[in-house]
Amino acid sequence: MLRPRAQAAGAAAIGMLVLSACGDGSDTGSGSADGQQTLTVWTYYTAGGQNDALEQQNALWAESHPDVTIETVQIPFEQLPSKLLATATTQDGPDVVLDNVVVDFPTLASSGVLADLTGYWDGYADKDLFPDSAVWSYEDKVYNVMSYTNLLGLYYNADMLEEAGIEPPETMEEFQAALEQLAPDNEGSVLAESGAPTVEGAWMFMPHLLGQGKDYCTMTEADLTTNLQTVQGWSQDGVIPRETATWDQADAWQAFMSGDYPFGINGNWNLADARGADFTIGTTRFPAGPEGSHVFPGGEAIGIGAFAEDKDLAWQYVEEAWMSQEASLINFEASGQIPTRSDLADDETITSDELVQPFVEAASETGAWPLNQETAAMQTAVGEAHSAVISGQSEPADAARTAIEAVTAAREDGGGSC
Amino acid sequence: MTAPPETTVRPGAEGSVESPAPGRWRRSRVHLGPYLVPAAVVCALLCVYPLVQMGRMAFSDVGPANLIGEWTFSGTENIREVLGSDGFWEATRATGVFTAVLLVVDLTIGYVAAQALARRGRLSSIVLSLMVFVWALPPLVSGSVWKFLLAGDGAINAVLQLVGIGRVDWLSDPSLALWAVSGVAAWASLPFAILIIRGGLLSIPTEVLEAASIDGAGPIRRAVSVVLPLLRPTLMVLVILIVLYAFRSFDFVYVMTSGGPGTVTTTLPFLAYREAFTTYSFGTGGAIASLSMLAVVVLAIPYVLGVRKEEGQ
Repeated sequence: MLRPRAQAAGAAAIGMLVLSACGDGSDTGSGSADGQQTLTVWTYYTAGGQNDALEQQNALWAESHPDVTIETVQIPFEQLPSKLLATATTQDGPDVVLDNVVVDFPTLASSGVLADLTGYWDGYADKDLFPDSAVWSYEDKVYNVMSYTNLLGLYYNADMLEEAGIEPPETMEEFQAALEQLAPDNEGSVLAESGAPTVEGAWMFMPHLLGQGKDYCTMTEADLTTNLQTVQGWSQDGVIPRETATWDQADAWQAFMSGDYPFGINGNWNLADARGADFTIGTTRFPAGPEGSHVFPGGEAIGIGAFAEDKDLAWQYVEEAWMSQEASLINFEASGQIPTRSDLADDETITSDELVQPFVEAASETGAWPLNQETAAMQTAVGEAHSAVISGQSEPADAARTAIEAVTAAREDGGGSC
Repeated sequence: MTAPPETTVRPGAEGSVESPAPGRWRRSRVHLGPYLVPAAVVCALLCVYPLVQMGRMAFSDVGPANLIGEWTFSGTENIREVLGSDGFWEATRATGVFTAVLLVVDLTIGYVAAQALARRGRLSSIVLSLMVFVWALPPLVSGSVWKFLLAGDGAINAVLQLVGIGRVDWLSDPSLALWAVSGVAAWASLPFAILIIRGGLLSIPTEVLEAASIDGAGPIRRAVSVVLPLLRPTLMVLVILIVLYAFRSFDFVYVMTSGGPGTVTTTLPFLAYREAFTTYSFGTGGAIASLSMLAVVVLAIPYVLGVRKEEGQ
């Protein structure tokens, strides 16, 4: 601590981050004297399966493009959007980026750091094979496309459930009963889920409301209070450990994979990892509420940096290494991420995989994200309320009131649309 | 008790035996001027420019859509919004607690440890080397290590359970999390405090301490009436630097708790970061950072005045 720079940096994080944004190694793809080109790809992948998939997809691309080197830059999840936004100042960024589209799309698209893909998309021969939800547009221009989707589901330790005589729950009532039955023998470690005061925690929590027919734009303070009371009960009754309040999804997954937890709520990108578990893992859909089982569609979308030197080459990479049938199957087999291409829906590789089926089913009944400039603020407010209730910092009613005020204010700031 | 001559006790002042003649000073300044240009340029680019931009942001309506283009002047709207939010005052309180923990730990333990290490010897050298290692560790690394140690199934809880004390939710209990993160930050900053205080102790002439002993002063009396007054300039500088460090309490919070549970460990710099780079409210993020900077400037004024006074003497 207290190095010389501390005197100036004491001002706060803003100045520091402005500085950090200036030197993030964001060299854009370019040619070299020997004709070898480089494409820079930014990701925040941390799961082993995702990184394996990326490596194999890059190898697929390299087969037909030996003169192009793919340089992958790993950036921490929370820092990727800010680094991407900083490229607006440096005029130098990635050729291809995999961004957290469901949170950051309105911000990234409106800030001019993503290239307009409309021309490329319109000329793409397979574009009709992708659902509308895989194409992300802003002011009638395409900026992001999704070759796969990720959804939340309920993982369970089949050995523990069998020992306890519990069937995998399908509804919230069955789930609650199972949790209550398991709690006495698994004090504080029945369910592993994320409760971090961030968008990740919000993503885990919101399916409770989606199952009741509510979302960010229709939920009331009473709705939120009721569901936060459920979570508070889990925390107080030893269903979830209090440290859930600071767990991100990776922490929650590690906890489930320890074998100590009968249940874990997490995404299908962990399926490759799940197959290597020391115990028998099963999956089922997120427990259904009165209005069914619904989760928000997630996953990364692919974009081309606004300052990429060779956008045509970058689009070729997107098509061949991500959107193609072969690349999508490689991705699925290595990571469990579900292809969005409709011509793979009945592919035996996917249909024969029992673990992925609940996630595939969930993909057809997803909730709707708020398409609002301030969607990140809306989601963060819910994440903070969730975390505050789990830890005991706030009572559900107080947390709900604060969250609803913040969500409403953010929605209005973002233009009021949903 | 014999009063020490003041010129001999200021750390770092031992070598300044005589002042150069005014004519020599002028010549030196003329010759040194060009050498300052690179440092001045780097400072302007890397410190002044971002700070000016941050100040502009605080008084502008800046979002992702106009981050590159023109910023609309919004007067004091961002400042008023920040000052009117509960989150800002909660973060101010958290920063205050964070600062207090650092001051208490660094000054008390730092003084005791510096006294113990003031004697030259092999053990002191080993301990000092280890401390430099701890101080040099990047906060992201040491913060991650402490996060694992303090986890529910981490090593510290394992030891506590071995000795019959139950598990403690260090980072997720709202009444403990801020203290735990502050404690880790204090642990990381302690070596610096020890080194600074030890330097101050070593600059105190042994004759002064011997004179105090001859006058009948015991260890406590010597510490209270001789050592601490002579260390005052050193401690004053240290206090200011600790406060500055506490006001940039970002890295440990980011790594260990993400500002949670809830908002318990959200300090001012973390709040500024979250506003600007998580929810993309650059204007309010800039306003929070500017207000933090203002607080630091206000706190640094006594330090600057103190240094000038010392130089004047």
